[in-house]
Formats: sequence, C-alpha cells, structure tokens
Amino acid sequence: MKLLQTIKNEWQLICHDAWLKALLFWLPVILAIAIWGVFSAGIARDLPIGVVDHDNSSVSRSLIRYYNASPTLAVVKHFNSMEHANAALREGSIYALVIIPNSLEKNTLLGKMPQVTAFYNSQFILIGKLINSAMLSAHGTYVAQIETFKNLANTRGNVKQAIGEALPISSQISPLFNANTHYGQFLVTAVIPAMWQIIIIATIVLVWARPLQNSSLEQWLAHLNFNEELKRLIPYILIFWMQGIIYLSVFYGTLQWPMHGSWLLLILAQFFLVLACASVATLFFFITLDVTRAMSLVAGFAAPAFAFMGVTFPTTDMPLLAQLWRALLPISHYITVQIQQVNYATTLNHSIGSFVALITFVSGLYIAKLLVEKRQRLNSLHEAKKEIIEKGCNL
Amino acid sequence: MTWKRLISCEFYAIFTNIPLLVTVFGGVIIYSFLYPLPYINQTPQEQSIAVINLDDSQLSRTIERMANATPQVNITQQVYSIEEAKALLIEGHITGFLLIPQHFYRDLLLEKSPHLLFAGNASYFLVYGTVIEGLVRSTSTLAAEVKVSRMVMRGDNIALASSQYSAIGLNLKPTFNASLGYLNYIVPAVFVLILHQTLLIALGLLTAGQYENKVKSQPISKLQSSYWLIYPVWRVLLVRSLLMLTIYLVLFSFYFGYSFESYGINRLATIPDLMTLAFPFLLSVIFLGTVVGLLIPRKELATLVVLLSSLPLVFSAGFIWPTSNMPTVINIITQFFPSTPAINGFLRLNQMGDSIDNLVQIQMQLWSLTLLYAMIAGVLMTKKQGELNRMIKSS
Repeated sequence: MKLLQTIKNEWQLICHDAWLKALLFWLPVILAIAIWGVFSAGIARDLPIGVVDHDNSSVSRSLIRYYNASPTLAVVKHFNSMEHANAALREGSIYALVIIPNSLEKNTLLGKMPQVTAFYNSQFILIGKLINSAMLSAHGTYVAQIETFKNLANTRGNVKQAIGEALPISSQISPLFNANTHYGQFLVTAVIPAMWQIIIIATIVLVWARPLQNSSLEQWLAHLNFNEELKRLIPYILIFWMQGIIYLSVFYGTLQWPMHGSWLLLILAQFFLVLACASVATLFFFITLDVTRAMSLVAGFAAPAFAFMGVTFPTTDMPLLAQLWRALLPISHYITVQIQQVNYATTLNHSIGSFVALITFVSGLYIAKLLVEKRQRLNSLHEAKKEIIEKGCNL
Repeated sequence: MTWKRLISCEFYAIFTNIPLLVTVFGGVIIYSFLYPLPYINQTPQEQSIAVINLDDSQLSRTIERMANATPQVNITQQVYSIEEAKALLIEGHITGFLLIPQHFYRDLLLEKSPHLLFAGNASYFLVYGTVIEGLVRSTSTLAAEVKVSRMVMRGDNIALASSQYSAIGLNLKPTFNASLGYLNYIVPAVFVLILHQTLLIALGLLTAGQYENKVKSQPISKLQSSYWLIYPVWRVLLVRSLLMLTIYLVLFSFYFGYSFESYGINRLATIPDLMTLAFPFLLSVIFLGTVVGLLIPRKELATLVVLLSSLPLVFSAGFIWPTSNMPTVINIITQFFPSTPAINGFLRLNQMGDSIDNLVQIQMQLWSLTLLYAMIAGVLMTKKQGELNRMIKSS
C-alpha cells in the first residue's frame, strides 16, 4: 500500500512538472521522429556528380548516360573547364568529378584501354563509399557491354561465350542481415537507443534533485532514507521501459524492419538497461550532490556514447582504452543484445555476458547508498562537534 | 557605471562559476581526447573471414591467397557450408565469407563466367564495406589476369595485353581524405559541434544562473547591487559576448591548431580565413546560448537541453547523410542552429580547400543568426530586468 502511495505521489509530481512531463512523454517522441526523418529515405539516391567530357563522342556520351542511370548517381553538371569543375568539388555541390580524356572513342575502338579518372569526395566517407561502388558498377556494366560486342566477332556470335570473355569471373554480393543495406535500419536503430540512454540518465538525475528545489541539501540528507527513496524511481523506470518497448514496436512493427529474434529477451534487456541507467544516474547524483555538476557528468558520460557503441566503427578496431570506456557505457551492452536478437536470433547463451554486464551496473545503487551513509555520518559528527563547542562556550 | 567595472564584474562572474569552467575548459579538453579515441586506427583492417572452397583447385587456392594479400580481409577459417559460415559469423568469429563454387576452375576454362559469392555482415556497414572491398579487389585482379592470359593465348603481345585487358579503365581517386580515414571524417565536424555545444551550455549556465540563484536564495534588496541589473542590457551583452569570444578563440585555436596537427588532420585554410568564419560562428552561438539561458527556469536545464540536441544536430548537419536525401523540413529547421552552416563551412575551408570567397553565403548566414539571436537575447533580457526591477521597487 505504501508503495502504491509513493507511486501516486510521484505521478502527482510528474503532472505538475512541465520538464519531467516533456522528458517522459513528448520530447523522446520528437527527437526520435527527427532522427528517423533524417534517414527516412533509407537508401541514398541521385547524389550529384559532375563531368568534364574532353571527348564528346558517342562512346563518352553513353558512358555518362550509364553513370547517370545508376540510382545512386545523378550527373547534374557538365563543365567546360577544369577550374570550374574543381571549384564545384571543393564547395561540395558535386560529390564526384568524372574526367573523360580526349580520343576516348578512338582509343576504345583501337583497344588501347583509355582511362577515365574520377575524383570522389572522401571527406564524407559514407557518401564517398556509396559513390565509389556506384561508379564501379555503372562503369563495369558499360564496359562489359562494349567488350561483349567486341567479343561477338571472336566467338562467332555466341553471346554467352562473349559475355564469359568480357566477365571471366562474375560475383554475387550478399549483405547479410540487412538485405538492401537500408541506412534507416542500420543507424536509426542505434541512434535512438543512444539518445534514450541520455534521456534516462538525465531525467533520473533531475528526479533525485527535485526535493532540493524546496529544501537545503543538509536538511534533506539528514532525513534521507535511501532505500525508501529508491522506490520513488519505480514509476520512472516503468515509463522508460515503456518508451523502449514502443520504439521497438515502431521499428519492427510499424516500419516493418525485419526482426528475427526473441522479443522476450530484447524487452528483458531493455528493462536491465533502464535499471543500469537509473543506477548510473543515482551514482552521479550522490557523487556530486549537486544537480548542475551531476548533469555535467551525464554530459561527459553519455554524449559521446554513440561513437563507442561500435555500430558505425567496429569495436574490434578500437584501441584498448576505447574498448574499456565502451564497457563502462550501459548502452553498448544493450546494443549487443539488440543486434544479436534482431539480426541473428541467437539464444540467451550468446547474450549472457551482456546481461551480466547490465546487471553489474545496478551495484551503482549500492555505492550511492554507501556514499549517502558516509555523508550522513560525517554530518552528524559535525553536528555533534558543533554542539560540544556551543556547550563549551556556555560553560 | 564604468566599462572597466562591468568588465571586471563579468570576468569575475565567468571565472568563479565552477560548472561553467568545468564545461568550457574541462569539457573541451577531455572531449578532444575522448571523442577521437575510438577512431584512432582510422580504418578497419584485416577483417577475419571464412572461405567455403568447394572447388579445391589450384586456381581457387590462388583466390584465397589473393584475398589474404589485401589489407582488408584475412582468411581465418575454412568451412564447408554456408550454414557453418553463418554460425561463425553470429558467434562473432568472422565478419564475412567467400564461397568458391564447385567446378569453378572448369567453368572458367570453359569461359562460362562462373560465380563467386561474397557475403559480409551488414549489421555493421563499415565492416561490411571493408570485407566486400577486399574481396572485390582481389578477384578483379584475378579476372584481369585471366583476361590477359587469354589474350596471350590468342597470340597477343603480353606487354600490350597487360595494358589493354579492359575496354575502358576507371581510375577512382578518393579526394580530400585520401586514406579514407574515419578520424579525418568525424573529428573536423564533431569538434565544431563540441565547441558549439559547450559554448551554448556555458552561456546557458551563466545567464540562467544569475537570474535563478540570486532571485531565489537572496533577499530582493541584495539584488539591487547586481551588476547585471544595473548596467543597460546592451552593455552587459556586449561585454559578455566579447569575453566569451576571447576565451573561445583560444579554445578554437587549440582544436584547429594543436589537435588537428597532432591527429594529422588536413589544415588547408589560412588563419585569417578561419577567423573570418570563426567570429560569426562563435558570436551567433554566444547569443543563442544567452537566449537558451533566458528561456529556461533552472540552470541545470541548459546542459540537458544542449545534450539532447547533440545527436540530431550531428546527423542532420549533412556530413554523414546527404542533405539532398533529407526531408526539407529538417533542412530548414537545422539552418537556424549555427552548427549546421559552421560544420559545412569549416569542412569546405579547412578540409576541402575551398576559398573563403566562395563561403560568402555561409558567412552571411552566420552573421544573420548572430544578429537574430542578439536581438532576441536583448528583448528577453530587457523584459527580465524590468520584471526584477519592478519587484525590487515594490518590496
């Protein structure tokens, strides 16, 4: 009954605090929609590239048509001078510059293998890589076609053999677990958990700091019963858990991204993540006993978390120090479970390490409790001393 | 009411505000080591892959050797079925596999264009891209060799054949970040955002802190002597912005000078050109931060608000995902945050060697934002000052 009362009280508080309400209900939704919005296209299309065509022949024009036909690329500009072309590449209005040499057609017909040069902007690695592979495949298709035509003479009209000569080895490329290399599915499913971690930790810090708005730190600490106070976190933990379940059901329900594994394990991992974040937040608050400083810790801890999750840049290629820092972030253990369940559908055995790591974070609560008790002892000692001194004065 | 006194008061306010100092100096310096940490190795290399060699000919073993010779992949396992390979992949022992089908060598001799299968773990795009790049590169070398040897068999000159195996060559050159390093990709953009976010927090803490603390915990009469109530708003704003600008020009130079130098990142811009952009960038952020500080009721919320905006700002800035593939609404909204034009501008100037004369539009945008936020800050501050002065009078 007492527990119910605590939850009810907290609920009242939430209803009267606009910031808490925002953090618990509508801000996560807006942030998630913004991130999803950025990647909603999923697959990059029509990336602008430019061409300098020194040949201007039927071969060069059809080659350019092939580049333009690639869904990833769009030839948006033909330059007459290298100067203008370079400037466009530098200002980022085109992501690649294709230079077609003069006598391309002549040399192609003579079998002299002319070279087309393409400069692509690799400052934007993701975009650069997309352009690189789109160029290779568009170019390869066109060249294979020319060679097949040429080979038809040698093979006396046997098309299959002509193709075989043009492409002695063909290859099939299979992106496992994300069949159409959809960026939304890849990045949004990692960015939103990273943001969720920030929201959970920051909100719990605010929840702890709430009583300090109306009373002084010493007063509040003196009457603090840590175990009782912990119960206040229950409604928040439940709400955050719900947030997690909702975003999962939007990804793998509404948006219908493939999910192969066990919902039960995934939702369980989310629960432990929320617990881990809550205990990290509690620890941060009781280390600093000041909401502003605790919030600075949250910023230092959670803001760069995405870089360490190992989704964009693989964990195995990080230096040891980065891997250690990664292990200190609850979200990196959760994301391991999420990828294992969603993509690989593994059993609990594979994820047991991550679960153990997440549960270990709960020990933060115990450390926080020790900190409180130490502080309380110090304070009462201080009080006692003060009393003695005062008494001494009276004598 | 002298300028000198205002400057010393403001100086005192900044340098006695511990959370502000921690964010500005601590944050900027710690992040300069922490953020690049995962990417120190620049590119993922030597990804472990498995090979399923169902052909077992001399040629198929050559393929294995050639794949091993690339810096991207390393064959660590030999398996006999796709299922086995997938199991290894799920366990995390390998990140991709290569399948050489039965009769591969025979089909190649018969010019039937046999298929190779390349598979990579697309749960991690960078890993996937690396594996596929290594495999494609090694087999295209092999395909070229096959073509050359066929041409020689037909009686062509070997020297000619080895330079004419393809109808048209394509020479793809990565530009601005020739090594395709991840550090060179992330750091120049994220460092601009770190300056942006810490500066926002600093001004939020300073501004919100003055109006919040003093009003609450001190008697109204004491407020009368607060310098930020006595001096006219425009003078407070002017002095504050110039002081913060000076501090941040030092930190800016630390990032764009020392940090970039030590990480080996391009520094193509001259110092005067960098400053031409740094001035409106930092000033617009300072005034935006002041606006944030005036809008929030408690100072810890400054850190929270800025923290929550980080990930959406990174992903919508255009250096990760092309802006042309984002919804227009997002593109418009993000233009109001100085980080978006600034990241773009500094990348063009310093990483891609664009000339400052081409960046007039970005400069204008940053100066307009400066003006816009300075005006909003002025109006809001005047209102707050008026309210407080009325309270003082009535008490």
